[in-house]
Amino acid sequence: MDFDPFPDRRVVGTARVPGAPQRTAPPVPVKIIVAGGFGVGKTTTVGAISEISPLTTEAEMTMESVGVDDPGQATAKTTTTIAMDFGCVTIDQTLKLYLFGTPGQSRFAFMWDDLVRGALGALVVVDTSRIDDCYPAVDYFERAGLPFVVGVNTFNGQAGYNLDEVRWALAVREDVPVLQFDARFRGSVRDALLVVLDQALDKAMRMRSS
Amino acid sequence: MRFPADPDDPDHPATTGVRPFLRATGPGVPHDPPPAQLPGPAPGEPPPGEHATALRPFVITSGRVAAADPDIGLETQVSAHPGAASARLSPEQRAIVHLCGEPLSVAEISARLRLHFGVTRILVGDLRAAGHLDVHVLENDFPDPETIMRVIRGLRSIS
Repeated sequence: MDFDPFPDRRVVGTARVPGAPQRTAPPVPVKIIVAGGFGVGKTTTVGAISEISPLTTEAEMTMESVGVDDPGQATAKTTTTIAMDFGCVTIDQTLKLYLFGTPGQSRFAFMWDDLVRGALGALVVVDTSRIDDCYPAVDYFERAGLPFVVGVNTFNGQAGYNLDEVRWALAVREDVPVLQFDARFRGSVRDALLVVLDQALDKAMRMRSS
Repeated sequence: MRFPADPDDPDHPATTGVRPFLRATGPGVPHDPPPAQLPGPAPGEPPPGEHATALRPFVITSGRVAAADPDIGLETQVSAHPGAASARLSPEQRAIVHLCGEPLSVAEISARLRLHFGVTRILVGDLRAAGHLDVHVLENDFPDPETIMRVIRGLRSIS
């Protein structure tokens, strides 16, 4: 029969019935934090591997000022609004990796428990010409017990120091990997993230066996 | 999650991991934003406009900042609950419900609607309580090894 009384109402693909139960089950989200000082290449890192252009969200961060001037003074806590760039990688329909780039401010130990809650680990991006910019991030992740990897970004051609010198300057534990990567290249960022994931896997195994 | 130790605590001085900035000297830290929490109208508060960038977003949440649900994280997936009437929602709330036809993270909602994350989180919590949104909360805080292995395999396949 050629006659179609409702030519515009043919169903193409999957039908969506109003009020029907959930169509798409949401993916399980996992996240990795990309941290470091201003302008070290966090957004470049996120953008190199994200399947969407990095988006920005603004969020409150509690800043715990470090009493550098007057040790007797009580620690002051203030909140500040920071801009955070993020992107994502769909692993499969049921699993999605998010990458959150967070600024680190010198002279502040930032605490934002929401950010590390449930995070797999962190990549601390280091520019060797301003190595101290990443101290707050390293301190934070150490104290929070989050697996992290130090990634020296060689986007300006070459690292100014070798990795042993960077490790010495940061005084990170032996088991914290210090590596070189190039934030502009997807393969390089992927490999750095795989090292973070190795650390996360170690932690998950330890948690399971304990 | 709390810090295992406070390096400023004189009883438990930080040992490893004390980097130079903890000991450095420098100008004091400004204390200008009031010690967090309630930006609601309080005596002695500057008139609107002075610290407007910090305070204004929370007008949308009727001044609430603290009551955010800790279950709702940046990456938490949110989807619209089919069939809930949206007649009495605010424009921001309606926009959130509209966006979440397909599951979306709270961070993406915040970015796309240009709403502060803290504000988004409170609105999402309200919409969840009112039955407009499903918030897909994960059971365990740290992913299990199998999930991490899947992420590793997935990333390895990226060229």
